[in-house]
Amino acid sequence: MLSFCLSALRSGFRSRAVLLILVLGALLVGVAFLAASFSPRQPKTVTLDVGFSGMRFSLVLFAVFWVQELVGREVERRTVLYALSYPVSRDAYVVGRFAGVVSLLAVAAALLGTLLWVSALLSGGEYEQARSVDLGWAYWATIGGFWLDAVVVAAFAVLISTLSTVQMLPVALGAMFAVAGKSLGAVLDYLERGADGDALIMARFGPLMDFIRWVIPDLSRLDWRVWPMYGLPLGEGAIANGLLLATGYVIVLMSLAVMIFRRREFF
Amino acid sequence: MRRLHVLPVVFLLTGLMIFSLAQSRFGQIKRVNAGAEIEVALPLFVQVVLAGGDRYLAASWAAVRALVTETSRMKPEDYRVLAKVQEDASWLNPAHEDNYYTAAAILPWEGQMEATQSILRRATDARPYDYQPPFYYGFYLVHFLGDGLGAAEWLRRAALRLPDPDERLLMEDLASRWIARSQDLEMAARIVDAMAAQTKRKDFAAYLHKRSQRLRDLAMLRKAANEYQLRHGKSPESLEDLRRNGFVVKIPVDPLGIGYGLNQKGLAVGLESLKK
Repeated sequence: MLSFCLSALRSGFRSRAVLLILVLGALLVGVAFLAASFSPRQPKTVTLDVGFSGMRFSLVLFAVFWVQELVGREVERRTVLYALSYPVSRDAYVVGRFAGVVSLLAVAAALLGTLLWVSALLSGGEYEQARSVDLGWAYWATIGGFWLDAVVVAAFAVLISTLSTVQMLPVALGAMFAVAGKSLGAVLDYLERGADGDALIMARFGPLMDFIRWVIPDLSRLDWRVWPMYGLPLGEGAIANGLLLATGYVIVLMSLAVMIFRRREFF
Repeated sequence: MRRLHVLPVVFLLTGLMIFSLAQSRFGQIKRVNAGAEIEVALPLFVQVVLAGGDRYLAASWAAVRALVTETSRMKPEDYRVLAKVQEDASWLNPAHEDNYYTAAAILPWEGQMEATQSILRRATDARPYDYQPPFYYGFYLVHFLGDGLGAAEWLRRAALRLPDPDERLLMEDLASRWIARSQDLEMAARIVDAMAAQTKRKDFAAYLHKRSQRLRDLAMLRKAANEYQLRHGKSPESLEDLRRNGFVVKIPVDPLGIGYGLNQKGLAVGLESLKK
């Protein structure tokens, strides 16, 4: 299993993954830095806000593309058969490749996180914000949350690539899953607050959303940026519960992926 | 066979003719909505989905959109859309500082009180350490709605958030005085100036200074109209009356370019409120 993880890492780096991360990171930091100049009173917070959004977006993109490249394409081109002709189980292949993508994502999160950290430190120049941002533990915990968010999406993309026979399906469905999971929080929030008193919306979408939230995880629960940006407390057990939600969901998805991959026929 | 060689050239020339015909015609066809500064406010969830499911990104986008809008070119109905955009931003991220600050600086002066107050209420709840949202909330209560008692209540809430006991005392004192005042333009001008002093953006500060200058002009005109009323026993017919009778040296030029006038009660106001 370890060898599959390492080979995934190697081919990830060989496919200029790190270069991609750096180019995107530089772009991201540039945009975040420029965004600060739009802010009349909170340049550092705006840098973080825009940077976090860009990072969350890029990590999910990396996740689906790496899964497509390291699992989807191997299945598609049948090169996976070379790997499986060794005396290893199919389970080890799937889990090992997933672990490889997860480690690549960790490298990406650390690199992008460091770049954004530096630019947040520098942004705003001499202007003193009334309340500055927290670039310590709160910052790195938030980066961890984004990594976890990308890991959940990666697990979903792995599941799709074990059953898909269509190229790019993992990328397309993975991206849709990510947007749905992230939007879910805002929709649930709106309904919980009574939909601005609109009874029709409540009646129509209330039961539907109650069902959906048991199928798709609420990924916005892994977004902890109000902590570093505004120093707001996250609510008791919000982080621990977020970890639990992500872990549980990843285990479910990966078990399904392993079960499907065992039965998969390649011809 | 020779004919076939010519065929692509014929097509090329036909294409070029059609293209240049269409292009030259567009010179006379006016673009619809070309002057619109801010016209559309998308539904909340469309905004969230367009931002890839990221409500904070959607909020940032809306806040930047509100900030870069050229307010001097906006029509009164555009402010309704601006208010909607900023209210949505505040729903998506109630703690957004720029959003509540720009909303408080622009919207209430353009009649969008309800949106302003809901943005400030949310910011008050979302930023427990920030005294400014409840302060502005209270100020607009007294200035626009004449609710001195309610305003004093909000000012006391703001005072509780100040770290310095002296400043807290000062604000408590202000609260007691606000109960009596409701239409004090000089005070409004001072508060707008204080808002301008906080920003790092020079263009926005300049805009706010224009607003405070406008309030000072109106205060001066109202004072003159008051004196006119005392002397002549009736309100002046127009601002020109004040100048002709020497109550003002000249009618001030509105820094926002809209102009001043007298309403039916003979009170000096911005021309935009007469059109409504």
